Amino acid sequence: MSVLAFVAVATAAAALATLARDARHLGTLVGFGAVVAAFVAALFVHPDSPLRIGTGALAGSDHLRLVLTLCLAGGLLVLLVARLATWQPSAPGALLGGAAGIGLALGLTDAPAALLGAAAATIAASVLALGSPAAPSRIRALARELRGAATSLVVGLVAAGIVPAASSGGVPAEPAAAALVLVGVGLVVAHRFGAIPLHARASRLADVAPSGALPILAAWLPAAWGLVILGWAPAALGAYAPGLGLERGLIVALALLTLLLGAVAAFVQDEVEHVVAYTIVADAGIALLALAALDPGARDAARGWLLVFATTRTALIGWTIAFRAAFGTGRLRETSGWLRRAPALGVALVGILVAAVGWPGLEVWDLRLAILQSATAGPALLLAYAGSLGTGLAICRMLAVGGGRPSATVAGSAGELPRLPARREAMGAAIVAGGPASAIASEGARPLAQRLRVLAAAVGHDARPTLDLNRVPLRAFVVIMLAGLAVLVAAGAFGIDAAARETGLGALSPLVAG
Amino acid sequence: MTPFLVAAGALVAIGAAVATGARDARIASLGLAGALAATPFVADPLPEPPSLAFGVIAGILAAFLVFVAARRTPDRPGPSLGLPASLGAAAACFAVGIGATAVTLPRLGPDAALAAGLAAVAVAVGPLAVTRDVLRLGSSLLVLVCGALLLLGALAGTPEPLTGMASGIVLVVLAAGVAALTGAAVVATGGTAIPDDVPAGRAPAARAGGEPR
Repeated sequence: MSVLAFVAVATAAAALATLARDARHLGTLVGFGAVVAAFVAALFVHPDSPLRIGTGALAGSDHLRLVLTLCLAGGLLVLLVARLATWQPSAPGALLGGAAGIGLALGLTDAPAALLGAAAATIAASVLALGSPAAPSRIRALARELRGAATSLVVGLVAAGIVPAASSGGVPAEPAAAALVLVGVGLVVAHRFGAIPLHARASRLADVAPSGALPILAAWLPAAWGLVILGWAPAALGAYAPGLGLERGLIVALALLTLLLGAVAAFVQDEVEHVVAYTIVADAGIALLALAALDPGARDAARGWLLVFATTRTALIGWTIAFRAAFGTGRLRETSGWLRRAPALGVALVGILVAAVGWPGLEVWDLRLAILQSATAGPALLLAYAGSLGTGLAICRMLAVGGGRPSATVAGSAGELPRLPARREAMGAAIVAGGPASAIASEGARPLAQRLRVLAAAVGHDARPTLDLNRVPLRAFVVIMLAGLAVLVAAGAFGIDAAARETGLGALSPLVAG
Repeated sequence: MTPFLVAAGALVAIGAAVATGARDARIASLGLAGALAATPFVADPLPEPPSLAFGVIAGILAAFLVFVAARRTPDRPGPSLGLPASLGAAAACFAVGIGATAVTLPRLGPDAALAAGLAAVAVAVGPLAVTRDVLRLGSSLLVLVCGALLLLGALAGTPEPLTGMASGIVLVVLAAGVAALTGAAVVATGGTAIPDDVPAGRAPAARAGGEPR
């Protein structure tokens, strides 16, 4: 029942945030309040008594709670970064609509129902993010998203229909049918993550979607599709795995191609948003390898790895928003030497690098290696291993660009040091000129109540200018928080490992429980 | 297979063909309403009454959303496949589905569901691939999802109540998305054509008021 409560709260919150989006200040308050309310509701999701309708059920789990809380916490921080840069009215509604759908998709214990939930989440989030304000580029992107989500749903439904019919009809399953199903769901995973050659969607989305809505559209929704399909595949197709050598080989080949070419593409991109998009493309290869393994061990590893994947990409998206806002451009060739003007962003990027790559013994490293080893061996494992480090290489390149000679754009940008409005600066100058004693003496001559009134008036009067002057350091601070969250998740905090191996109704998404 | 099942399946197939092949958008949305509302009845055994009612209401609501969007759109070019061709394709696929008893794939649902599902998917795929009109794209997507639900029913048997409810939710959400897409297209371009796809980088960063350089 806790999932139902979350879905209700998130849906209502999405509606409220969407209704209030045209009012700038009210929309900000309602949007952030709605996300916080949904976050609190997500904290209460746990493995309680499921809501049963027929033979199906809507059930909570620790893993689902982690997915929802990380999605909303990361999304909230990204919204904060985005709000400190500009106003994106549609982003809170998109985040909440997508989160509500993810709760529904991962809480349902029936595979077709879960696929329908994932499709509903994708459609709702896309419409809320891209539907308003109207622009030709957004219309194209929305049409593409609707087409992609519906097509993926159709393939998934037919695949989920074939396998239960084959396995429960008392007739030995046709190997050709199982092979067709595996190829079909492989294509769905490839399309949802943007694996090569289906990768155009990811970079186009990064161009047109509001940056505050990108975490849900580009990271969490693909992760939800992955969790549904990877939870279903080993249970449904595992028995046929020995006879599916060719199909599994094809998926592994596609995964290796995606890992390697995605890494190269991420490395050579100039726009920081495209770098992020192609790191998502590259990591589609790991999701495909987890599918090709058809192994419960790989499934458990993927359930943990997808959390790290989505959290690190959320942090990376937050970083790109702060970067673009700080320098007015996202082009790396125009922002050489950015580290000198934005060292805090550099610290955050190093944190994200650590979270995305890790080292032997760290949770993210072990999870990724478990997936690679379950699907590949020998030279293929070496290739997969090299390709899986592509995200780290792309981030290292951005850091290397930041260490160069500062460009004119960088030199003309505001630094990250906190600033005070002119009146405070004048007072500070007086303190420096006359010494602290003179300033304190002049202040001390006034009665205490009067001084407090003056101070309150000064704070109230200066709050807005102070905020305007300090957007750059505030954004950097929030991005550091995002990077810290990513590092914690990558290190296995919050019980990720135990949640990923959790068993029981609703714990392992669809069909596994059934 | 009862005559009722065949009639319901035929209604879905005809509705799907009208939804994707009719020139007038309002007639197309009426065909869509017929197809979506009849879909829950193409199952053996029939779903429980609440689940059945939920499916019918969701189907009508989805078609109504498309109808509302269609009323606000200016005149548009006709479909790439005309209505007669769409009806012919649907009839052919329906006949193939009804006669597909030789297919060795084990199935738990009725042949009528397979027939209607094949017909719906067949008439939706063409417009989905070639159309440049957002409203026709939306109608095709709804027909395609409807066809997939029927194929699921044909393969796995009558859907579970939760699956039926989730199907209704998806249809309504998708129809709302189509309505939003159509409205946005009319506002942005004055028509319902999907603008040409020209890759472009993200616009320069907007700065909040008062933010220093």
